[in-house]
Amino acid sequence: MPPQAQQFLDTLNSTVPLEAYLIVGAIMFAIGAWGALIRRNAVVVFMCIELMINAVNLSLVAFADYLPDAGGAGVGYAVLVIAVAAAEVAVGLAIALAVYRTRKTVNVDEVNLMKG
Amino acid sequence: MNQTVGQQLIIAAIPVLPALVFLILALFGRYIREGAQFVAIFGVATSLVFSCFALFFVARDGAPIDFAVNWINLEEGGSFPMGIYIDGLAAVMLVVVCFVSLMIQLYSGAFMQDDKRFAWYYAVLNLFTASMLGLVVASNFIELYVFWELVGLCSYLLIGHWFEKPEAARAAQKAFIVTRVGDMALFVGIIMFWRATGTTSYQGISEAAQAGFIGSSLFATAVVLVFVGAIGKSAQFPLHVWLPDAMEGPTPVSALIHAATMVAAGVYLVARTYDIFVQSPTAMLVVAYIGGFTALMAATMALTKKDMKRVIAYSTVSQLGYMMLALGIGAYSAGIFHLYNHAFFKALLFLGAGSIIYAMNSYNIFEMGGLRRRMPLTFWTMVIAGVSLAGIFPLSGFWSKDAIVVSAFAEHFYVLFAMALLTVFLTAFYIFRAIFVAFLGEPRTEAAREAIESPGIMTGPMVILAFFSVVSGLVGTPLRDYFAEIVAPSEFATEALGVEPHEFNVTLAVVSVVVALGGIALAYALYVPKPERAAELARRFSPIYTFLDKGWYFDALYDRVFVRPAMAIGRFVRQFDRRALGRLVTGVGRGFSGAGERLRPLQSGGAQNYALFILVSVLILGVIVGAQYAFLTVALIAVIALAAVALGARL
Repeated sequence: MPPQAQQFLDTLNSTVPLEAYLIVGAIMFAIGAWGALIRRNAVVVFMCIELMINAVNLSLVAFADYLPDAGGAGVGYAVLVIAVAAAEVAVGLAIALAVYRTRKTVNVDEVNLMKG
Repeated sequence: MNQTVGQQLIIAAIPVLPALVFLILALFGRYIREGAQFVAIFGVATSLVFSCFALFFVARDGAPIDFAVNWINLEEGGSFPMGIYIDGLAAVMLVVVCFVSLMIQLYSGAFMQDDKRFAWYYAVLNLFTASMLGLVVASNFIELYVFWELVGLCSYLLIGHWFEKPEAARAAQKAFIVTRVGDMALFVGIIMFWRATGTTSYQGISEAAQAGFIGSSLFATAVVLVFVGAIGKSAQFPLHVWLPDAMEGPTPVSALIHAATMVAAGVYLVARTYDIFVQSPTAMLVVAYIGGFTALMAATMALTKKDMKRVIAYSTVSQLGYMMLALGIGAYSAGIFHLYNHAFFKALLFLGAGSIIYAMNSYNIFEMGGLRRRMPLTFWTMVIAGVSLAGIFPLSGFWSKDAIVVSAFAEHFYVLFAMALLTVFLTAFYIFRAIFVAFLGEPRTEAAREAIESPGIMTGPMVILAFFSVVSGLVGTPLRDYFAEIVAPSEFATEALGVEPHEFNVTLAVVSVVVALGGIALAYALYVPKPERAAELARRFSPIYTFLDKGWYFDALYDRVFVRPAMAIGRFVRQFDRRALGRLVTGVGRGFSGAGERLRPLQSGGAQNYALFILVSVLILGVIVGAQYAFLTVALIAVIALAAVALGARL
């Protein structure tokens, strides 16, 4: 086995550094935020928000793994966030449906009754 | 003291009964309607009976009725009792007020019969009587001041009874405001006394002043201020201008104001606080000369008036001047005696005038004429009142007026004596001018031709008053002066003044009667055989005529000096309010609404916009927390706020 391959395997088998998880989480969060801000379709916006939530969850779980002294609090938080996210999706989709029934659209730019 | 509880209850009921009548009529007047007069007359008649009891008690015991309950106790600040103090003076006033009020309430039943506020009229009439009775029995300045203001309020309500007429509303306001000037002075005087002596009772202040607790200049100022209050209420110069205008009220009200309740209050105040007044010779001189001057001035103003009620009104001002003069020169009993006699004949004159007005609905004597045959009872009662006012022997006016004139002469106040004597002449002239023009000659208008005598309920009180106008003076004749025995100044005042009782002076009496007869004769000569003569005289001396007719231009003067500047200040304040304050307020409002308009686009309604703001804000916060540098923080906030606003505006 050539040393390069061995090195590659070692790299794969070694523990992934915390930064990697955080970078992935940040990228996911940025993509989610970008989508939440610019997409017009309410359903897609919800999906993007979901993405942001899961990016945060990823960070939480990574922190939980790397900080054993915290006693797994990060994991507990992640579970809590998942539950809240599920509730949020239920309410959010209900709103989206209600808006669709009354206004025949889910385009968030057209739902601006609160305009000052 | 030495009264039983029953006596005290009876005395206290004198002012309370009319006040109760007021309450009943004010609350249930709309259901009682025409029955109001019976309730009112029952109340005041009972008060009259009780007043007679009070007079009897005082005359029998020779000691004042005096009791009090504590009203306000300020511990160290002193206490203010509510008390009743009735000496001879107060007892006589009680009887006069109740009697005149009773006569006027009887008379009003017919005079006001079709009035739409009949019950309210009677209610206020009774409150008026109650306030005056309360003022008379008051034992200290604070109590007096309460009733003093109530009297002013009632006069305002009654003068303005026909407030639908703008003149009546204006006259009511004028009366209220002009007397308020005096009231203010009175109140300041009371406070000065209270500060200096710690008491408000008349006797307490008098004793403190005798003991020298008050500095002499402070004392004189306070006394004069109290007198200014009396000037306002008693319509003396220079606050006399409200009384002639007060003629806009119903005529029986004028009678009540002039005879018993309102204007007598000022004279009564001076008499009540006489022990205090005599300690300041300056104040006494002020009282005497203001009185003498007012007597003469008002008499000249009455000479040219065409309005029957105004002639009588000026005559009241003039006669009140007499009373002040008498009090000022130390003729205490004579002054009050005149007040007492004046009440009867002045009430009668007004009721007579009211009777004419009832018959022909006009105040102008030159629209009357020939009423002697149409209204004989009114004519004869008016003549009796006129003779009494003029002071012809042996009617009531003679005795009191003569007493005043004699005192002025005997006390060597020759200027005042001359003024008084001239006033006697003018008084006789103007009152008989009015009577002659109204009753003699030929009717000048259709209304005068068709006038008929007023009903019995009106002429009845007039006849009773005429009877008293003849005989009321007999209690104070030189033979036996019962009046001066009951209404005597305190021993202290007598000593302080050192006034000897004056002998009846036959020469002076004859002189004053002759002068009065001269006035009557002149009125007859000018107005009866050849009425043109008077008109021609008026033309020839037209500046003087106009000067007198305009009441010495006092109204015009006050208009320039007080009314217009006050109005100007009012206008200025209004403009300031509107321009400066108004603009300030609307400016602030507009500023905020403009800013709101600018910021409105931020609220785009788009959820994604808000999300962007939140995200950007979180980033900013993160950077701030990371940066930890104040300068950077501020700069970032500014930049990002600007960016956010710009972005929001764009969206």
